[in-house]
Amino acid sequence: MNDNRIAWRSFNKGVWCDDINVSNFIKMNYTAYNGDSSFLEGPTERTKKEMERVHELLIAENEKGGVLNVDTSKVITILSHPAGYVVDKDTDIIVGLQTDEPLKRGVSPFAGIRSSVKACNAYGYEMSDKIKDEFTYRTTHNTGVFRAYTETMKKARHAGILTGLPDAYARGRIIGDYRRIALYGMDFLIEKKKYDKDKLGEKEFLDDETIHLLEDLAKQIEFMYQLKELALLYGYDISKPAANAFEAIQWLYFGYLGAVKEQNGAANSIGRIAEFMDIYIERDIKEDTLTEQKAQELIDDLVIKLRLVRHLRTPEYNDLFAGDPVWVTLALAGVTNEGKHMVSKTSYRVLNTLYNLGSSAEPNITVLWSERLPENFKKFCAKVSIDTDSIQYENDDLMRRMYGDDYAIACCVSAMKMGKQMQFFGARCNLAKILLMTLNGGKDEIAGDQIAPEGVVFGDEVLDFDKVYTEYKNYLKWLAKLYVNTMNIIHYMHDKYAYERLMMSLHDTDVERLMAFGVSGFSVAVDSLSAIKYAKVYPVRDERGLITDFEIKGNFPKYGNDDDRVDLIGKDLIEYFYRELCKTPAYRGAKHTLSILTITSNVMYGRKTGSTPDGRKAGEPFAPGANPMHGRDAEGALASLNSVAKLDYACCRDGISNTFSITPDALGKSEDDRIEHLVAMLDGYFLQDAHHLNVNVLNREKLVAAMNDPTLYPSLTIRVSGYAVNFNKLTRDKQEEVIARTFHHAM
Amino acid sequence: MREPSTTRCDMADIHSFESFAALDGEGIRYAVFFTGCPLRCAYCHNPDTWFRSGNEMTAEEVFNKIRRFKPYFRNGGGVTFSGGEPLLNSVFINEMFDLLKNEDIGYCIDTSGSVELTDGVKRAVDNADMIILDIKFYDAGKYKLYTGGDIEKPLALGRYCTEKGKRLVLRTVIAPGINDTNEDVEKYAGYVSENGLKFEKYELLAFHTMGFFKYDNLKIRNPLAGTPALEAEKLDELQKHLNETLKVKEG
Repeated sequence: MNDNRIAWRSFNKGVWCDDINVSNFIKMNYTAYNGDSSFLEGPTERTKKEMERVHELLIAENEKGGVLNVDTSKVITILSHPAGYVVDKDTDIIVGLQTDEPLKRGVSPFAGIRSSVKACNAYGYEMSDKIKDEFTYRTTHNTGVFRAYTETMKKARHAGILTGLPDAYARGRIIGDYRRIALYGMDFLIEKKKYDKDKLGEKEFLDDETIHLLEDLAKQIEFMYQLKELALLYGYDISKPAANAFEAIQWLYFGYLGAVKEQNGAANSIGRIAEFMDIYIERDIKEDTLTEQKAQELIDDLVIKLRLVRHLRTPEYNDLFAGDPVWVTLALAGVTNEGKHMVSKTSYRVLNTLYNLGSSAEPNITVLWSERLPENFKKFCAKVSIDTDSIQYENDDLMRRMYGDDYAIACCVSAMKMGKQMQFFGARCNLAKILLMTLNGGKDEIAGDQIAPEGVVFGDEVLDFDKVYTEYKNYLKWLAKLYVNTMNIIHYMHDKYAYERLMMSLHDTDVERLMAFGVSGFSVAVDSLSAIKYAKVYPVRDERGLITDFEIKGNFPKYGNDDDRVDLIGKDLIEYFYRELCKTPAYRGAKHTLSILTITSNVMYGRKTGSTPDGRKAGEPFAPGANPMHGRDAEGALASLNSVAKLDYACCRDGISNTFSITPDALGKSEDDRIEHLVAMLDGYFLQDAHHLNVNVLNREKLVAAMNDPTLYPSLTIRVSGYAVNFNKLTRDKQEEVIARTFHHAM
Repeated sequence: MREPSTTRCDMADIHSFESFAALDGEGIRYAVFFTGCPLRCAYCHNPDTWFRSGNEMTAEEVFNKIRRFKPYFRNGGGVTFSGGEPLLNSVFINEMFDLLKNEDIGYCIDTSGSVELTDGVKRAVDNADMIILDIKFYDAGKYKLYTGGDIEKPLALGRYCTEKGKRLVLRTVIAPGINDTNEDVEKYAGYVSENGLKFEKYELLAFHTMGFFKYDNLKIRNPLAGTPALEAEKLDELQKHLNETLKVKEG
């Protein structure tokens, strides 16, 4: 690797020089920064000019109902479109768009041709006959899945027990290690994959899995060559390693761009890139070829490009994941296994884009929080939260124990080792609805159909906790098995018909697979069990004889008040369900993981669920993620956090999402107080091994005003369940649900 | 509705808890609101604390709740006893102190000062990190008229804190039409300095109407039902005037 002598000049050498090991490269070369934010620079004139164009585009997109333009003439792939620019070739620094024009969406029917047709129609477009013809004799992921689904799976899906499954859209949640392109260049990565393939083919007996992997590798290699061509379209040769900061960022971005052209998965996260980019920036600054202003400009321009990534979605999809998210999740900071913090100046520069370019939902900036982060950085993060409501926090001290020190976050809360782990995304099941089904002997309380096997019939007498909980667990056991097998079918078909060739080429060949299950309706299920245990709950039947309502006499402890009587029910429930999931093997030897995360689908799941024993009425939204139910946390913000903190991350390794909203007045009197209190709050929460926190510091009145007149706050960004959205992109019912959420306010 | 009197002295009747009270004291505060108050302030925004809740708890029970919040009490955070009148529960607070001390958690008391300076009260004050004392009025007549109490009691408590070198924060609620003029502010400044109170800060708080619904719920008369909330700008203006007046007096 002779070319590396120039590209790798003045880097500290280590094992990363001989084999792919970005983590080792970072740790040997990054510069930890303990100072404050005073070095940061504002936007350049060039950046301002480009942002003007971006604002025009965003306004036009909004005026057209959320989709500016769709290219229905052809299928989007890595090489489908000629080069495109935001302003023009000379003004854009970091280059590359998904199609030939900014915000023009491509059609990617690999996950399902029907949903692509629907998505086109929803925005007034017609898919071209060319695409339809191309897919006439082609099986998509969606078709494959429905061929294999059993009747029970279809029923469970239809009733809304298993919901939001990636069986009609692409699964996403896979993070390519795009840094590899910058550090090693494509030629080395291609050679490495070819070597792996040859080596694999030498095995004594080529079993199913080996042949599968051989084909995977061939696909990967093909797309690695295509990525090189994509870069050439823009005039860059990424065969060789990047030799300066601009190239490092551009090479890395080409990898990401190729991935979001090839795939339209539910979340396309970019990984842990800030500290990596910092090494190149620091070297250029030392060599006097880059100024702070130009360094910030590079980061600003990368972030502009990330903000413009779009996929074409169906209305049903938007119902699950509102606000048109891509989840360009960008994780930063954290601590090394050796205990050294990884905050660099570029961690600051990335956060600074929220000031230079204005607040925004994308990229989904995720601070990997540790007690050991420097105080200056903690305070700056708190300030950014208070000013922009655009960042989320996840507990590095907790995740590092399981994922080491080079993991990133996909989507909202899903941790995975960069380039070493991938995930089979599995949406979620509805814990509240299964409880109702338990009480109705396996019948859907809304449609009345028998979904699950017939079980014990509950009479009209007061519900007995032990009996209910025992039966509930029996149904959860049944559900767990069904859920794993359903996921096995989905991911078998996704691998077969919509394999992520480019993203997977930027992973190790012997990648570790995680299968991510999820639950919704957690707090409703827990409070319902608490009501049955501590109050008197009488079933109320409808004319069909089904239990569709409840009469509740007396008080009961509610999740969200740091009360063990109820919190431990939730803890036990989740641990039980996770153990049951693990009993059914997962496709391709994947490890089972579980999340308590709903994204914005808590509204839709609530709509599909009858009245529950906690007093929630039929159709009312659930609380999002692991949040306590709206308005039930009576002892204030920290009691609510403490309840969530009790849930064991070891059995929820795919994340425990908590969204927290507080008014500025309640957080503190002065800006300094507010910053200090938010830092103390984050430290206190995460010290208890809590996993995740979205922070919103805003007034309820502001949201009500924005709901009634969207023009008042055009870029109002808020954090919902694990990601940020532009408030104005939410539908009315989701806006109302956000407003109904507990706001912790000053007395 | 009965007024407090029958609580066992090692127990307290608790109105509520607020786990994130960032405004009363330093850092993040865990606030314990007791029921029971010797005063009946016309502008009270917590009239629901005048009456027993029936939620009687021992110091140990309350302590077990508080200790769970220790991870948040960095940078000077801790417990704030409020109410109602917390110093009516000095036995409870003193018992609590022994428990908190072992966990290295400090407390503040947010008080009207309208209590007898008994040995128990003195001990509760001695062990506190800080006392937040309401200076409700600057003359005995108005004090009696608007609170029903005796102005000498809070003054005695303020002097005791000064004598002991206790960290003291003074507070006054400003209500439109009652004490919202520059002259009022000057009189407050004069009152505290002439009486020799040594304090760290003197904060004015705005009268607000967010507690009005409580009067309706309790079906008791709200003596300031027609009074509007004090505007934030007015409060800032008065606070500024107070700070300047105090500076002149100190100088």
